[in-house]
Amino acid sequence: MNSLSSPARLLGAAVSAPVFDFWSRQFGSIQAWDRCLARVVARQQESANAVSLTLQPNRRFGGFEPGQHVNLTAEVEGVRVTRSYSFTQPPRADGLLRLTIKQVEGGKLSTALCALRPGAVVELGEAYGEMNLPQGPGRYLFLAAGSGITPLMSLSLALEQNPQAEATLVYWAQQRAELCYAEELRQLAARLPRLRLHFVLTREPLRLAGELARRLDAGLLETLAPDLDALQVYACGPRGFVDQARLLAQGRALRFHGEAFTPPALAPGGGSVRVTLRASGRSLDVPSGVPLLAALEAQGLRPESGCRMGLCNTCACRLVEGVGQNLNNGETISEPGSELRICTSAARSDLTLDL
Amino acid sequence: MTQATTLNRPLSAAEMDAFGQELDALRSRTMAQVGAEDARYIRRVVAAVRYIEAAGRALLFFGAFPPAWVLGTLLLGLSKILENMELGHNVMHGQYDWMRDPQLNGKTYEWDIVATGDNWRHTHNYKHHTYTNVRGADDDIGYGLLRLFPEQRWRPFFLFQPIIAVIFALLFEWGVAIQRLELGKYFSGRKTKAQLAEEFRPLGRKMRRQIVKDYVVFPLLAGPFFLPVLLGNVVANIIRSLWTYTVIFCGHFTADAETFPKSVLLNETRGHWYLRQLRGSSNLSGSKLLHILTGNLSHQIEHHLYPDMPARRYAQVAPEVREICTRYGQNYNTGSMLKQFGQVVWRILRHALPSRPGVVTPLVQPVGEAA
Repeated sequence: MNSLSSPARLLGAAVSAPVFDFWSRQFGSIQAWDRCLARVVARQQESANAVSLTLQPNRRFGGFEPGQHVNLTAEVEGVRVTRSYSFTQPPRADGLLRLTIKQVEGGKLSTALCALRPGAVVELGEAYGEMNLPQGPGRYLFLAAGSGITPLMSLSLALEQNPQAEATLVYWAQQRAELCYAEELRQLAARLPRLRLHFVLTREPLRLAGELARRLDAGLLETLAPDLDALQVYACGPRGFVDQARLLAQGRALRFHGEAFTPPALAPGGGSVRVTLRASGRSLDVPSGVPLLAALEAQGLRPESGCRMGLCNTCACRLVEGVGQNLNNGETISEPGSELRICTSAARSDLTLDL
Repeated sequence: MTQATTLNRPLSAAEMDAFGQELDALRSRTMAQVGAEDARYIRRVVAAVRYIEAAGRALLFFGAFPPAWVLGTLLLGLSKILENMELGHNVMHGQYDWMRDPQLNGKTYEWDIVATGDNWRHTHNYKHHTYTNVRGADDDIGYGLLRLFPEQRWRPFFLFQPIIAVIFALLFEWGVAIQRLELGKYFSGRKTKAQLAEEFRPLGRKMRRQIVKDYVVFPLLAGPFFLPVLLGNVVANIIRSLWTYTVIFCGHFTADAETFPKSVLLNETRGHWYLRQLRGSSNLSGSKLLHILTGNLSHQIEHHLYPDMPARRYAQVAPEVREICTRYGQNYNTGSMLKQFGQVVWRILRHALPSRPGVVTPLVQPVGEAA
């Protein structure tokens, strides 16, 4: 703000973030004071149960690298819900972003996102994730299962800008209708001999030419990658799949990088969980199922608190990840961004608080 | 205040528990319904605040033309009232935290008033709502300036109270702003100058921001009409102060509203806490518009029972609360704004002079005594 001239600074005193954001939206803009909003500009059915959204982010977007994810937030029934999705294209010259959303059965946000039409506005966080493709020579084995294809899709597309890299992509789905980007991938492989492509369908009665039907095991890996010790293996998919890939490849491949979605494991009451306090940079073990305020105080911390009965909201802090429980009504709280009143809430899994 | 003795009956320990459970159950039933409708409502309130403010400020730019000045000032005052009461006050209680919208977050919301949100969260959300009407713990009783209850010690200073109360009403937003500083402690030597300066810093920043916005930037934007705009802003802020003062004083200082000694806090049960909230609060009856303009603090009783429930739900739970009160023999203190504020004015005048406490019904029935 120092560079601003004094009239601009005076105006800044009259306008706050909520006021700016409100009028910006009223005039149909997605510019915001300090948040990254993005407008859906195109929507494409990617498979039987997945949709790709092309998004135009506002100036607050900080960029990303292929293989990274972003927290996407949208309002469902008046409540903001946040989930992480991968960018499924490398950064584009026009600044547009593509995210692919698989509709999860009963999934609040995924159902709402799959129904979005061009013009809708969502919010994005900052890109994160370490599964990237360094410039320069490299040989890769990409193992993707189900929605695990999404980060590996942007990495496969990124091969085009990385002439010294070559890759084999193996993509598992149960049925052909669930494959995302099948045509796009075939065209990419046709254009780019450095990309070898294998679709594996585990529950498809009829196989087409080039399609495999085998689960990931040592034999398949030997067939697809006889030179495993010269490859960097990136695996992405359900936890079991990534564990299996790790078992087969780690220690043998040049490098192994796995990413799996892990729902937090609930700790039984009386067990111990790890609570990470992000703002104060501390991490400590507390008993699960007891009020967090008391548990933190027992360890010598003095978080801000008031009435100690869950009414004054003084001790509320934001849940970053993990599962908490409201001890007054038994309700579990797992949605990132929820406010947790630590005087009447307990940790039910390892959790991170913005405290 | 002898009339209080006939209105309420003391509850036995068992009744107190049952009373608490009924109110807890009502809370759970209502909170289970909170959702999209409430989100839509608060968004509409935000939009109303913004549009009314814009209309008011736009009209004030033509403030050289008297009707535009009057209407512009009224609209700006109205916008500030809505922002403070139905939006700021309620959001800061965490009533909309479940939406997870950072701009409607109870811990971070900053309202359009000289008091900082943080100070208010302490003096109001924590102290006033936890220790409602407990003498010596709830600074809202007379704001350390007025004697409203006979239990407060009389000093000759209070003879000036009728005048002080009017000045306080006109400058109410400033009074609330400095409440957390507890200047009394400084003047009596229990707080150092350095401590006070430290506590004042964030408040000073907020005050400067509000002054610059209302009394410098917007008047400057009006160019030659600097003065009408400045004056309009001053008057709008005063209108807001008078209105909030009236509403807030009606909430706890009517004839039958009770205060409590600190001893009630010892081993207070949930039911006991509810009962204290009920006996210390009073409602305003009126139209839907009145409820909105008071930020639903017209339902002060319901607000005190359920401070973090979206305020638009108070009207819905009120009949049930009233019915529960009737069954437990408790007075449900409500009346028109005129009646309730008349009682407040009487308190201000009456207790400017020495007065002695009457006999007050205890909250709890002494052991061994039949109801």
